[in-house]
Amino acid sequence: MIHTTAGRRAATRLIACAGAAALLLTGCSTADQGGSAGESRTTDDGRIAYLNLGNFSNASNPKPNYNPFSTTAIGPLWTIYDPLFEVNKYDCSEVPQLATEYEWTSPTEMRLTTREGVTWNDGEAFTAEDVAFTFTLLKKNPALDTKGVGVRLTSAEATSDTEVVLTFDGPAYAIKDKIIETTIVPEHVWAGVDDPATYTAEEAVGTGMFTVKSLNPQQFTVEANPDYWQADKVKVDELRFTKAAEGQVDQLRLARGEYDHNSMFVPDIEDSYVAKDPEHNKYWFASGSPISLYMNLTEAPFDDVEFRRAIAQAVDKERLTEEAGYGYVEPASQTLLVLPGQEDWLDPSIPDEGMVAYDPETAADALTAAGYELDADGKRLGKDGEPLAFTFTTPQGWSDWTAAADSVKDDFAELGIAVDVDTPDYPTVEQNRLTGTFDMAFGVRGGLCSMYQSFAEPLASENTAPVGKKASTNEVRWRDARTDALLEELEVTEDVEAQKPIVHELQQIMVDQVPFVPLWYGGKWFEYNTKHATGWPSAEDPYAGSDNNRLIYTSLVPAED
Amino acid sequence: MTYFARRIGFFVLTLWGAVTLNFLIPRMSAGDPAQAILEQVAAKDGYVDPAQLEAVRAMLGVPDASLWSQYVDYLGNIASGNFGVSYTYFPYSVTDVIGDALPWTIVLLGTTLVLSFVIGTLLGAWVAWRRNTGFDAVVTVGSSFLGTLPFFWLALLLIYVFAITLGWLPSSGGYSGAVEPGPSPEFFVDAWQHFLLPAAAIMITGPIGWMLGMRNNMVASLGEDFTRFGRAKGLPARVLAVSYGARVAILPNITGFALALGGLVGGTALVEQVFNYPGMGRLLLEAVGNKDFPLMQTIFLFSTVGVLVANLAADMLYGLLDPRARRKETA
Repeated sequence: MIHTTAGRRAATRLIACAGAAALLLTGCSTADQGGSAGESRTTDDGRIAYLNLGNFSNASNPKPNYNPFSTTAIGPLWTIYDPLFEVNKYDCSEVPQLATEYEWTSPTEMRLTTREGVTWNDGEAFTAEDVAFTFTLLKKNPALDTKGVGVRLTSAEATSDTEVVLTFDGPAYAIKDKIIETTIVPEHVWAGVDDPATYTAEEAVGTGMFTVKSLNPQQFTVEANPDYWQADKVKVDELRFTKAAEGQVDQLRLARGEYDHNSMFVPDIEDSYVAKDPEHNKYWFASGSPISLYMNLTEAPFDDVEFRRAIAQAVDKERLTEEAGYGYVEPASQTLLVLPGQEDWLDPSIPDEGMVAYDPETAADALTAAGYELDADGKRLGKDGEPLAFTFTTPQGWSDWTAAADSVKDDFAELGIAVDVDTPDYPTVEQNRLTGTFDMAFGVRGGLCSMYQSFAEPLASENTAPVGKKASTNEVRWRDARTDALLEELEVTEDVEAQKPIVHELQQIMVDQVPFVPLWYGGKWFEYNTKHATGWPSAEDPYAGSDNNRLIYTSLVPAED
Repeated sequence: MTYFARRIGFFVLTLWGAVTLNFLIPRMSAGDPAQAILEQVAAKDGYVDPAQLEAVRAMLGVPDASLWSQYVDYLGNIASGNFGVSYTYFPYSVTDVIGDALPWTIVLLGTTLVLSFVIGTLLGAWVAWRRNTGFDAVVTVGSSFLGTLPFFWLALLLIYVFAITLGWLPSSGGYSGAVEPGPSPEFFVDAWQHFLLPAAAIMITGPIGWMLGMRNNMVASLGEDFTRFGRAKGLPARVLAVSYGARVAILPNITGFALALGGLVGGTALVEQVFNYPGMGRLLLEAVGNKDFPLMQTIFLFSTVGVLVANLAADMLYGLLDPRARRKETA
């Protein structure tokens, strides 16, 4: 089936090319995605006809699955469904979507006002009943509860067409982001589904800015939803997601301008991508959750705060980000915040925004002073008099992590401590990290908009377990009464200004006690092309996080050409 | 008849062994399928919500029954053709997923295998007939050299030249997706264009093995007493080459061909990975990567059964074609 005139043209060209290609004759060009890069895509009424985007599924032959709660569904379901609020992942602000406001009537009760005048793309009206239904659905079906909201819910009731009351089994401020980011599905469609966990929602009824046009294993196409509740902001008629090619081939396609936007890791991006078309090929690699050096706190000498403080000074983060991160990523602050995005939360009394200066001499002196002497061979000894030696475990094939581990190894060697970098496969590393059977490893925690989640996951005692048992998230095994007390207080504090002093003290614990050492911010790969559309978020204009598609695609405008 | 009975007995025994190994091997590797799926979902440096892990476990219903009862279930399911639900493509069944991938592999590998076999065997026979000439040296040494080139490198070179630089052919996939898959001429043309590069990449090295095998066998058979006898009788060169040299030399190649046909079901991971071809090889890699036991087992099962059946067929054929094989067994 050919839907558009562009498609028909492409088909004619394909037929014309077929014979020539078979004989490998010259003079016939077939672009991978149809539509040559040169032609203008601005329609007569000033809209963008279509944009070519990257992958839409991790599966090699994706099959239709538009269930927004399914882990195996196709990726860009933001095009079809809306949440209550979109949390801006750059500055953590809340942008109203299907709800216009929320209010905590008590620590366990949230009252939401839903938007009026929204319709599902099958024509039915959206009401507060749909919201109540969705939350109840998550409560009843643990397989759909991917954010752990349903398990905390006691009841969800629509008190009018535009008001919903959610009650929880305890203070729920801490999971506020997860609650308000819940994707809402239509009751009139889902109520009749027998097993929502195996439901593939092929009708794809949502309130989102696009509707499904076609899906096959190579391409997922959505077209603008004329009834979208803020349709006037959407200037794109169609999005075409294409199955990713083999890594290097995909990078070549990106450099040739075949993608208007993609999120992939590209080595040496200035030369291999930007230089191919400096006017249009742009990128913005914002900082994501920090990757940290975990030292197993149940083992000596990692249980000694003096030792850990020295290590925080002895790790050269500048060199590490240069060697391991192609210079794309930034060294991380010891406060566990992602800066500058979260600078509002920063404790002003912490020097240099928590960027601990690299100072191996002071670190070495501090270790000697703390009782870790150097022997005649330059080996540093533990308090038991034996030379210190550790194993650093990092997954095989994750080359940037391995490079980072080697960099840490060099820093330890500088102190006279031998580190052996071991690279088993990923499941083994993950298993060892969770059960606490490691000396040193990398971990990704923190940097979320929810401060409670950011600090509680890696630091709360309740999230850890004895060595040999799986910890849920506190893999370094930090147990500290003061930390737990602060987290308990943070969990029941709603007001942001009241949360700040608590978060400040948690940052001080990170800096003074060094439960672990944040090393670098994970890169959020984001490449965009300004040939057909402009208004992408960038380092100069970070109005949205690179994954806040609902904010991005309501801001794009046709390029002037 | 004992020859055939014995072959079939062997077949059944090997089949049972293969089916059982197929059950055991995936279960011996470390790791949790739920974790493996999340690893695919979250970016590598990304943060994983622990609630998601629980949800995926609830969704998959990852087995914790005893190994023995899993084995009994497994045998029963195989017998009834129920291969379960794929973890990666949940809630789609393994049969659905394989049904999508199998035709692509059969067409791509089937075509190139037949072509490679025909070209390789003919060329081998020709080279053997003209053995120890300059032509023989050029073809034998040249193809040996070509055969040592890494496939990955050859394939990327083809993509770089024909897809990226010249832009004649698409760089990846089995079809472009701009054309809706279905029995339409547009789709056929589109699929044909996507077929050319991977097929070409296979054909560069594909015939070499058949060619060298045929040449060496035929050089040997041309030196046999019966060929010398035929030459002494004054038989024409064409008859000597075809009926005396090639007829004997082709026997091992036919066995090899049957085995290759059987192995085709498993696809070739390398070709399909480089060209992102939507076939069985890539599916298998994906299943292994995601610890998708139901999918992995079924693909292994299909390819094992394919090879075993082909092996049986080759044995039967051999028994018919070569009376010496039958006689040896009964003696």
